[in-house]
Amino acid sequence: MDELELLKKDWKSREHELPKLSYEDIYSMILKKSSSIVRWIFIISILEFVLWASLDIVFKMNNVHTHFDHIEKGTVLDNFSLIISIISYSILIYFIVRFYLNYKKIASTDSAKVLMRNIIKTRKTVKQYIFVNISLFAMVMITTMAYVLLFTEGLNENPLESQPPIWLIITITLLVTLIFVGLIALFYRVIYGILTSRLKKNYAELEKLDV
Amino acid sequence: MNKELEHNFVTHLEQNQNIVHKVCRIYTNDPDSHNDLFQEITIQLWKAYPKFRGDSKFSTWMYRVALNTAITLYRKSKRSIKTTDLDTMNFRIKAEEYDSEVEEQLKLMYAAVKQLNDIEKALVFLYLEDRSYKEIADTMGISEVNARVKMNRVKTKLKKILNP
Repeated sequence: MDELELLKKDWKSREHELPKLSYEDIYSMILKKSSSIVRWIFIISILEFVLWASLDIVFKMNNVHTHFDHIEKGTVLDNFSLIISIISYSILIYFIVRFYLNYKKIASTDSAKVLMRNIIKTRKTVKQYIFVNISLFAMVMITTMAYVLLFTEGLNENPLESQPPIWLIITITLLVTLIFVGLIALFYRVIYGILTSRLKKNYAELEKLDV
Repeated sequence: MNKELEHNFVTHLEQNQNIVHKVCRIYTNDPDSHNDLFQEITIQLWKAYPKFRGDSKFSTWMYRVALNTAITLYRKSKRSIKTTDLDTMNFRIKAEEYDSEVEEQLKLMYAAVKQLNDIEKALVFLYLEDRSYKEIADTMGISEVNARVKMNRVKTKLKKILNP
């Protein structure tokens, strides 16, 4: 006899050994909160959006306006920071909408593969948002630094002692960039890794079946 | 929430709770984890219930949500998994029912199933539950042919675990 058939026979004969929960037991369960991975992904993603949106604001206030608050309206740098603001908020809105639409698609009633794919897609949206933000952040850093160093006459006209030294600007820029990248790397290694490693493994297993 | 909906759901689940218990049995190794997973599956079933249309059988629908929860949605608790916990799962076999050789083989089989990966466990579980290959394929989101092929591979894998 096939081993699995033997197991099936035994499996069925053991139904009476299963626990029996009462109506009240089950009722109390539906009042509790889910601790599913989707809930965690939702919370973490929202935190990421908030974190990045606020970092963006903090960065702009500190780096551009505190150091160079003598910039007059209508100058190149002023326009540049306005354009960057518009771009970064458009990006934020675009990704939040996409994230929400993907999140809405997640349904436990889909097939295992579709469910996994939708969860991965939702996570990917947030990952892309962060990637775009890092790129934008690096671009703004470099452009601002280059502009300040090469073209700002206002800066050069100031008395020497009130100018921030060039090495300080470069060091701070690099330091801030490094800390940012370091934190992001840590965040993804630890939290994201733990959260989705099993999901990714199982999805890969299903993908493998269908080649 | 609608009281009538709650009542219908709890009654439905109470009658069909064996399905959920069996999924928990395949995917967990101790009573605490079993209860944790049962709890999460119940929440997921309840969340999906308003959209349950009755055009599919309640049990078919349950298999899907329960397995999805076990494989994908449920976050395993940090409790360490000990293989000796297998004994606590009521897999005791009555001596008068089987001769000792069969008994030994069954014990090994259950232990072997525990060693399979999440996807393979789902296939074996649906097979043990006498679900059709069509339903297995639909539940997992793979083609029927591939479901058969994979099932045969799992059988071979189990045989290998049993007769190394």
